[in-house]
Amino acid sequence: MAGPLSVGVNLEAFSQAIGAIQALRSSVSRVFDCLGDGLRNRETLEGREKAFIARFRDNLHSVHRDLHELERLSNLVCKPLENHPLHNSGLLSLDPAQDKTPLYSQLLQAYKWSSKLQCHAGLAAGLLNQQSLKRSANQMGAPAKRRPKAQPTMLLLPPQYVDDVISRIDRMFPEMSIQLSRPNGTSAMLLVTLGKVLKAIVVLRSLFIDRTIVKGYNENVYTEGGKLDIWSKSNYQVFRKVTDHATTALLHYQLPQMPHVVVRSFMTWLRSYIKLFQAPCQRCGKFLWDGLPPTWRDFRTLEAFHDTCRQ
Amino acid sequence: MNIKNVSQMPVAEGKSVQQTVELLTRKLEVLGAEKQGTFCVDCETYHTAASTLGSQGQTGKLMYVMHNSEYPLSCFALFENGPCLIADTNFDVLMVKLKGFFQSAKASKIETRGTRYQYCDFLVKVGTVTMGPSARGISVEVEYGPCVVASDCWSLLLEFLQSFLGSHTPGAPAVFGSRHDTVYGPADTMVQYMELFNKIRKQQQVPVAGIR
Ligand SMILES: [Zn+2]
Repeated sequence: MAGPLSVGVNLEAFSQAIGAIQALRSSVSRVFDCLGDGLRNRETLEGREKAFIARFRDNLHSVHRDLHELERLSNLVCKPLENHPLHNSGLLSLDPAQDKTPLYSQLLQAYKWSSKLQCHAGLAAGLLNQQSLKRSANQMGAPAKRRPKAQPTMLLLPPQYVDDVISRIDRMFPEMSIQLSRPNGTSAMLLVTLGKVLKAIVVLRSLFIDRTIVKGYNENVYTEGGKLDIWSKSNYQVFRKVTDHATTALLHYQLPQMPHVVVRSFMTWLRSYIKLFQAPCQRCGKFLWDGLPPTWRDFRTLEAFHDTCRQ
Repeated sequence: MNIKNVSQMPVAEGKSVQQTVELLTRKLEVLGAEKQGTFCVDCETYHTAASTLGSQGQTGKLMYVMHNSEYPLSCFALFENGPCLIADTNFDVLMVKLKGFFQSAKASKIETRGTRYQYCDFLVKVGTVTMGPSARGISVEVEYGPCVVASDCWSLLLEFLQSFLGSHTPGAPAVFGSRHDTVYGPADTMVQYMELFNKIRKQQQVPVAGIR
């Protein structure tokens, strides 16, 4: 009963308030008219000044009165509005022309869809987590309460948070150095140098890894303009192969609710290439197959295999 | 700088140097290696002139001046176990002017020429080593581009060498063992060639086994 009644009261106050606004505007414009007209013709200068001041004072008084009236009415108008359960969007339901502008019903529909979607996404993430790597889940050093829970706006992570995650990973692995730069606005790019073995360019979108290119330690990773070159491939077959495998790893390490764990798992995996030229294949025991060393690293055990020797 | 290993392939029994080289290149082609131009490395020996030596029976040090077609604008000057100088090719002219201090040893010029082969990331150079008019031996250089630390990839190189040299694989050259973790440079390659040439020069007296 309270809802419609309060709305009705509001409407009354609204029309009064609109009237008060009109009155205020006309009294204000009278003030300016009076100022614009200036001193009217009278016999003496003194008479002219007196008449002008009297008119001006009257006008200001009426402005003051109208403003006071508007303030009183606005107090009546505002209060019930704040308590509306749907905030301002609830006012759409007051639109009498439902057939022409069915905004309110469309809004309710969209809201239902979005909450359904969020619910399904949550269930799917739960199922996917059961299938994912135990390793990355166990590696979570941070206590549970520090994990960012269910962030639907993951793409809007502040750059400072990204910087922190990357610098923590950088400190984790002494033989691996990570250089962060933001040449193209907010998206970060990483130049990872692993021992004297390889360099990897990692392109981030927020904390999601978009693309990675692996090159030799002695290869150039910059364009002529001095920017990181994220397009050209390595001259060596072995690093082109490692690039392919790293791209596969990006697809493998997925944990949409905890992107920092994904980045850390990927870096842990990448670090196993420190022995790229020193580790024989765990299956056939040889170094070379078709002229290439074991370029594959198992996602779980990090053991070295030839591309053709992995299961 | 890419890792290179230079080794000597003994001449196969009952075969000439030329036949052994052909055998080797055929093996590489069967493996899937592709021909990619030619190469040449030469070396000339200089000894310090008698006039500059002290009186206490000091022996003159030998200096080797070398060129490598892979570095066409450079000239390398090396002492045995000593420093290596990398200079412009003008260095040859300078050596002529230094005649009073360094004298070219007679008929000391030794060189190796051959074909380059590309196989995956490996570059293989099989060359015939000649001194004057006669073929003296075979040099095999294997270059592995992706790796910059020699000691990291020695096992891998060895396995590759075994795949076409068979049992004649060499022991690890000094550069692959002693200086851990240092980045390989052009001078390291020239030192290996110098050692190979010296080994072949010493074989001069002893008749090469297998040549009939
Ligand atoms: Zn294998």
